[in-house]
Amino acid sequence: MAEPFISTPVMAATAQSPIADALLPGEYGNLAIGAQVALSERFGLAICDVCAWPGLETKTANAIKRATGLAVTKRRDAVGEAAQGFQHAPGRWTVIAEDPSLAERLTRAVSANATVVDLAHGRTCLRIAGEAGTSVLAKLFAIDFAEKAFPVAKGLATSHHAVLAQIQRVDAQTFDLLVFRSYARTFFHALTRASEEFGYRIVPPRAGEPET
Amino acid sequence: MSGYRRPSGGKVIERGKSITFTFDGKQYFGLAGDTLASALIAGGVSVVGRSFKYHRPRGIVAAGVDEPNALVTVLGDGAREPNIRATEIEIHDGLVCESQNRFPSLDFDMRALNQLGGDALAAGFYYKTFMGPARWPFGGTRTWMAFERQIRRAAGLGRAGTESDTSRYDRVNAHCDTLVVGGGKPGIVQALEAARKRRRVIVCEIDPTLGGYASWSGDPDISAMITQLQAMDNVQILTRTTAWGIYDGNAVAALERVSDHRRDRAPGEARQRMWIIRAGHVALATGAFERPLVFPGNDRPGVMLASAAQRYAAMYGVLPGKRIAIVTNNDSAYTSAIALKARDANVITIIDLRSEVSGGARSIASVAGARLRTGQAVVATAGTGGLDSIQVAPFDHRTRRPTGRSEGISCDCLLMSGGWSPAIHLASHAGGAPRWDDTLKAFLAPEDGRDLSLHGAAAGDFVFGAGLSPAPAPVYEVRAPGKAFVDFQHDVTADDVRLAHREGFHSVEHVKRYTTLGMATDQGKTSSLPGQAILADALGRPLEQVGTTRFRPPFTPVSLGSIAAERFGDLHPERITPIHDWHVKNGARMVAAGHWQRPECYNRWKESVEQAYIREAKTVRRGVGIVDVSTLGKIDIQGPDAAAFLDRVYTNGFARLPVGKSRYGLMLREDGFVFDDGTTWRLAPDRYLMTTTTANAGPVMQHLEYYLNVIWPDIRVHLTSVTDQWAAMAVAGPHSRDVLAAIVIDTDVDNLTLPPMGIVHGRIAEVPVMICRLSFSGERAYEVYCGAHHGAHVWNALIAAGEPWGILPYGLEALGALRIEKGHVTGAEIDGRTTARDLNLDWMLSTKKPFIGSAMMDRLGLVPITRQALVGVVSINGEKFHGGSHIVESANPKKPGPSLGHVTAMCYSPVHDRYIGLALVSSGRARLGARLYATDPVRSASHVPVEIVRHVMVDPSGDRMHG
Repeated sequence: MAEPFISTPVMAATAQSPIADALLPGEYGNLAIGAQVALSERFGLAICDVCAWPGLETKTANAIKRATGLAVTKRRDAVGEAAQGFQHAPGRWTVIAEDPSLAERLTRAVSANATVVDLAHGRTCLRIAGEAGTSVLAKLFAIDFAEKAFPVAKGLATSHHAVLAQIQRVDAQTFDLLVFRSYARTFFHALTRASEEFGYRIVPPRAGEPET
Repeated sequence: MSGYRRPSGGKVIERGKSITFTFDGKQYFGLAGDTLASALIAGGVSVVGRSFKYHRPRGIVAAGVDEPNALVTVLGDGAREPNIRATEIEIHDGLVCESQNRFPSLDFDMRALNQLGGDALAAGFYYKTFMGPARWPFGGTRTWMAFERQIRRAAGLGRAGTESDTSRYDRVNAHCDTLVVGGGKPGIVQALEAARKRRRVIVCEIDPTLGGYASWSGDPDISAMITQLQAMDNVQILTRTTAWGIYDGNAVAALERVSDHRRDRAPGEARQRMWIIRAGHVALATGAFERPLVFPGNDRPGVMLASAAQRYAAMYGVLPGKRIAIVTNNDSAYTSAIALKARDANVITIIDLRSEVSGGARSIASVAGARLRTGQAVVATAGTGGLDSIQVAPFDHRTRRPTGRSEGISCDCLLMSGGWSPAIHLASHAGGAPRWDDTLKAFLAPEDGRDLSLHGAAAGDFVFGAGLSPAPAPVYEVRAPGKAFVDFQHDVTADDVRLAHREGFHSVEHVKRYTTLGMATDQGKTSSLPGQAILADALGRPLEQVGTTRFRPPFTPVSLGSIAAERFGDLHPERITPIHDWHVKNGARMVAAGHWQRPECYNRWKESVEQAYIREAKTVRRGVGIVDVSTLGKIDIQGPDAAAFLDRVYTNGFARLPVGKSRYGLMLREDGFVFDDGTTWRLAPDRYLMTTTTANAGPVMQHLEYYLNVIWPDIRVHLTSVTDQWAAMAVAGPHSRDVLAAIVIDTDVDNLTLPPMGIVHGRIAEVPVMICRLSFSGERAYEVYCGAHHGAHVWNALIAAGEPWGILPYGLEALGALRIEKGHVTGAEIDGRTTARDLNLDWMLSTKKPFIGSAMMDRLGLVPITRQALVGVVSINGEKFHGGSHIVESANPKKPGPSLGHVTAMCYSPVHDRYIGLALVSSGRARLGARLYATDPVRSASHVPVEIVRHVMVDPSGDRMHG
């Protein structure tokens, strides 16, 4: 083997989103009072699963902080300029960043305190924003999305039927949803169906990301 | 009934806005805000349905969800929805409804002849007539078989449509601190109190507007309270919403009628929405149901609940008759009388079953201008198509019988009040027994300790006005000749209840089931207590000892559409590989494998599945093919104890597997049977990549996590599902190495660098890849792994690189044919009943270490050589046999003899040029060379001679694979 295997960063020129064909920019559904929901994909992100060994959770959280600047602790999730992180199970974090070297940085930082798994290709990150965002999500998940119960930066793992989903609140009206890549298309369809009554806008990918 | 609309009044109707709707093909006019019931009453319609069994004409009895008679079928969107209460249908332009259970029409129903059957159709009619031993020519159950269709057609409720319902249904989750069920005054009080404490409040109200009884009884405070509540930002008000069930943890199911009241819907708007509300506290302010009285002819159109008439007058400006009589056993009817009088109704008389009434009641009767008749009862009703007159006679409430001659009274509407039953349904859904209140003569909610409270009438807190008592007289029935109905919707009479008692049914639960009392769509809202009182009388026991049946969800009928709700694709979500779109674009015939969509084969023009897979398999054997295996389960296993962990879960050793190599592994269950197989790759000293079968990816992950968390918590291993992280494609065939050599850079792929089970890292078309040399087909083959987002790119590059060697994609069918030829097992053989020895995999059972299943795999029943073992089967005469066929010894298809086993998989073998298969056959190894038969008597009637051969039917030495 050439080298220890750590990650396969997403290469924009050769990568393809599983929902590329469904991600057609425009406004859809009930637009009587305009689109109240914006849907987009955050494609090409570095996504890592960091799992602390028992008793080393604090050290692992500190390591994540060192590697990403995120102020995560054993009890606090975080959203930063360049990265996001939340605990989706005890001692287990999902960390997202645009920097493709995230897995390497985390692996170095956590050392023997935790393990790191690159999931950049394995998860699709969808973003839902807008005043009706929580109403749409309430159709899909039995989660209390009120800010008091689900404050900004908080993340958790849940499921929509068979589709495992991790959700993090980015701001008052914005949520990131991570689903298995293979389920992304069917889930995106469910998301648009749920959004129809509020009117939704599909936001085009940003420059540098694959065109649909 | 000669109902009509008053020139003024009606709180919820818009006088200037006329609505046109159709009932039984006839056009009617109503006003915006009307229900179908109020509009029909205003239109002078008396008969709105026919009864369940006797087909008696029936009119509107109630004004809300307790309506037992006015069930109609709503037609719309190409679908028909039966048994909708006319009292809840808000009319709109274009509404089309029809009555039910009549032939040919509502006015002339031929099945009304059933009434001539008299007592023959009493309780237990079906059991007595149709159950028992068959006698020639009919008799017993045979008679039922002969007449069932006609009986079902004659007796019943509405008819559901067969067209698919194109309406949309939603489901939504909600959370709150306080859920208030019922938007009447007690509910609003509770909601305001909670909201002022800054709690998150949800209010569910069945009606389109808040207020309930307070609104239609003219409470002066209610409007201001509603306004105040609506202004609070922490209160969510759900009107047209019925809370229909309460479950553990204060989870309440509620159905919102989102757009049933409109002709048109906005894009994406649901017809109905199912709410699942999780509440910290549930406050039930669900009100109470007025009970009918049981007397002969009480089901005649024109007989109505007193409170219903009051409500129609107040809310819709509609009066149900021009000459109104009232019969009651309590004071609340006097409130109705005075309210009706205030709206210009002509209340001619109040007949009170009690011999003594309070001064307050007498005073009200006087103000209402109604002649008060105490100690009297209605003993009969008369009329054609409606009510013309009633017979009233002196009455002894102790014997429940009239005591003197009757007197006729001309009237077109009779209002009745038999007391009130608090709507405690939700409170008792958890299973607690309701408590009897002997003052109110009603059952109150059980106390089950959950965070739930009752308020207002639901708690038995009745206020009917100064000087009026909430306590009714304990009399529910007038025993006089004639059919006196207890359950209007299921045509159960008082005599039916007594008959059930005489026939030995003494429990309320048994009487309910024998007579069907309370089993209709209204679930006994009006009938339960009168029926139980009649049973108590027959038993000679107090009603509190007889008890009541338990209430169960749903409180009101719930559409199946709303239960299914927003589950488009969700029950079977599609899972796609990174190369899915390429498969579809290139003509693949996709099939579901669990949730996964996989190519079955790539059919060419006019090519059958069999022709396609034979062509594809030949390509792999002779040249090179490529198959998408991204669906294989993949688990990242990391940690200092990873090697030891794998040694425990696999039957064979992994601790000594070098980094950069993979190994085929076998897992057993604890009971010694085979669980799953797959290859596991050692990527680093403390890191492995395990692959599982596609079908078992989830169960294997659960299995491993269970052992790590429960059995071996001291082992330091982390597991992560990386199934979706990797796109995987197998390049197989004699030219597979040539293809890779032409496209892979940064590594060699020759036999020395990449031997069987070896792993290398390289790049294909700039994309980093990991290549493992392993084979499922029996040919030289390589599995190429890359990041899933790059999967399509790498697949295209491999296809292009393989062109000089004629590379073709192959699907599941060819994959299956190749593995059958090679004798590799899949889920068809790992069926939960086979051991490693059965599958010729005993060489994988380590004797140097324990592993999961090792303690049980040698138990007595798992070792005999007579067990069914994996063998190959080959069609002797070339005839096709079928998967699932039994292996038998007899040549006679009509007497095949005992089964020796079955064919687990079959295919046409390009190598052998005939049909072959794998089979599990008892004493399989001892039968090699035997000539048996594959018989399939039920499905295909085939009986094919086969030879039993070794399960490895291609390249048993492995030269092709290892070369």
